Amino acid sequence: MTSAGDPAERSGDAEVRVVLDRVCKSFVPAGGGERVSALHDASLSVGSGTFLALLGPSGCGKTTLLRLVDGLIQPDSGTVRVFGAPPRPGPDIGFVFQSFRLIPWAKVSRNVDFSLRDLGLTAAEREERTRRVVKMVGLTRFADAYPSALSGGMKQRVALARALAPEPKVLLMDEPFASIDAQTRELMQIELMRIWTRRRPAVLFVTHSVDEAIMLADEIALMGPRPGKVIETLPVDLERPRWTYDARAEPRYVELRQHLSSRMKQFVLNDPASEFFGRDLGQPDATGP
Amino acid sequence: MALLRREFAMLFGVLRPCRRAAVRTASALRNLCKPPASMVIGLYRIGFLAFLMALWQVAATRMGSNVLPSPLATWKAAQTLVGEGQLIVAVGDSLTVYLSGFAIAVIVGVPLGVIMGGFRILGKTLEVYVFALAATPRVAFIPLIIVLLGLGVEAKTFIVFLGALMPILINAYAGVLAADEELLEMARSVGARRGRIFTSIVLPGAVPFVIVGLRIGATIGLINTVVAELYTAVRGLGGLLAIYGNTFRMAEYFVVVLTLAAVGVIVTESLRYIEARVSRWRVI
Ligand SMILES: Nc1ncnc2c1ncn2[C@@H]1O[C@H](COP(=O)(O)OP(=O)(O)OP(=O)(O)O)[C@@H](O)[C@H]1O
Ligand SMILES: [Mg+2]
Repeated sequence: MTSAGDPAERSGDAEVRVVLDRVCKSFVPAGGGERVSALHDASLSVGSGTFLALLGPSGCGKTTLLRLVDGLIQPDSGTVRVFGAPPRPGPDIGFVFQSFRLIPWAKVSRNVDFSLRDLGLTAAEREERTRRVVKMVGLTRFADAYPSALSGGMKQRVALARALAPEPKVLLMDEPFASIDAQTRELMQIELMRIWTRRRPAVLFVTHSVDEAIMLADEIALMGPRPGKVIETLPVDLERPRWTYDARAEPRYVELRQHLSSRMKQFVLNDPASEFFGRDLGQPDATGP
Repeated sequence: MALLRREFAMLFGVLRPCRRAAVRTASALRNLCKPPASMVIGLYRIGFLAFLMALWQVAATRMGSNVLPSPLATWKAAQTLVGEGQLIVAVGDSLTVYLSGFAIAVIVGVPLGVIMGGFRILGKTLEVYVFALAATPRVAFIPLIIVLLGLGVEAKTFIVFLGALMPILINAYAGVLAADEELLEMARSVGARRGRIFTSIVLPGAVPFVIVGLRIGATIGLINTVVAELYTAVRGLGGLLAIYGNTFRMAEYFVVVLTLAAVGVIVTESLRYIEARVSRWRVI
């Protein structure tokens, strides 16, 4: 049926929710000019119920990859499959965007309800579902507030609620906790794990943070820049839930962390477009005045 | 200042980043002058009014009452004009022309701008002509309008309509085009279809633009009301202006000018009030 190299076959068809096979995508910048290649021959597969972290430096095409998986944009070449078919945006795939993207003139509950409009639910069912999801992210008191009255962390929770409300089978999260303070972030991570454990959607979770990737994910896909591609996929074989014991002290954690951190650092140092290109971080400021 | 900048940004479609920054400064300004501060501002305004009156009085005594009537003479003239009824009749005539012309401009301009924004090809096709028409001084059409519609209410209303239409149409158009790309993509990702995206993201996003257009249209409409009354059958406030101006009855003339100012202030302030109502989500 499919060729032996097909990533879908490797991980067993029925189990796989998301497959990218040698996907290329480039953009013409808005002001015109040369095409930028965002992704080149990127391949990836995410099994059902798997929490996958996409880890990579800025500009390596992580957001582009998520937009491809949601069907918001089409690849130049290669194939994207979600549930075995080219993806179409809709309630089966939830997207938590890098910026919150809340509708500023709609109250919290209406923002959450926005993703339920095309499911064929009755008004009462939608209301009930909205109330439940808003409660789940702890914002019941703010259901009638406008987004401008919320803190960054609260806005992010609204965005999460909106993505979760239709109960998607695939959840795409683009650096959802990047703009949240450390304490709130940890609480949100725990909360996310709780929700994920209960619902078990396949998750593609984009992050810059090595620690966040290791704490949350079943697998980490490491992406490299210019052109963006998936360099390697690593399993995170640490017991869950990882907050109940000190996972950071585990030898496997330390090992993963060292490996990923040094790879990330290399990307930045070897990237001609980076400000740190060619610096020798071993020497105390060799390039200084 | 911030408000002015915002209006210009909207009028010329220098859109999103500018609009965001302007909205932020505007709401910051509004936050700065909340209750206690607004009372102080009110006092300052009354103080400034007193200063203006004093200035007026001084200028009137210097120049003589046949050039510039004193505030008191103006007040007396106002009392007679109101008492004898001609001011009320004139205001009624002018408001009829002004409000019906403006209303038709809203009914035509907003949907047309929205449709032009919604159907990009149509918009691109028509926008050149709209901008050309907007740049032509509309007074240029008055002789033609008189030939076609005569000197009556119809002609006057049409002149007002023509003046108010362009800013209303252009701002509605710009508002639709300025739809937030990120929100549009969010709506698409949720699975919303074109119609719902238009009604739930594009149209509400265009409202602030539309209201700015209404405000500019209301101002131009009032100007055109007076122009129409001067050029066609001399009636209304513009008519009184011509009569008293030509016969050097400066006190009565001043009463008419101040009445026009009052009408303008009332209309634009009502629109500002409506704007504050519909954009309550911005101010918290
Ligand atoms: N719509 C677009 N038009 C033009 N260029 C684009 C577009 N989207 C992405 N790119 C380019 O593609 C590359 C990858 O972008 P992408 O946003 O996917 O990176 P990212 O990994 O999400 O970065 P970050 O971590 O900073 O969010 C970048 O060089 C970017 O400039
Ligand atoms: Mg990104």
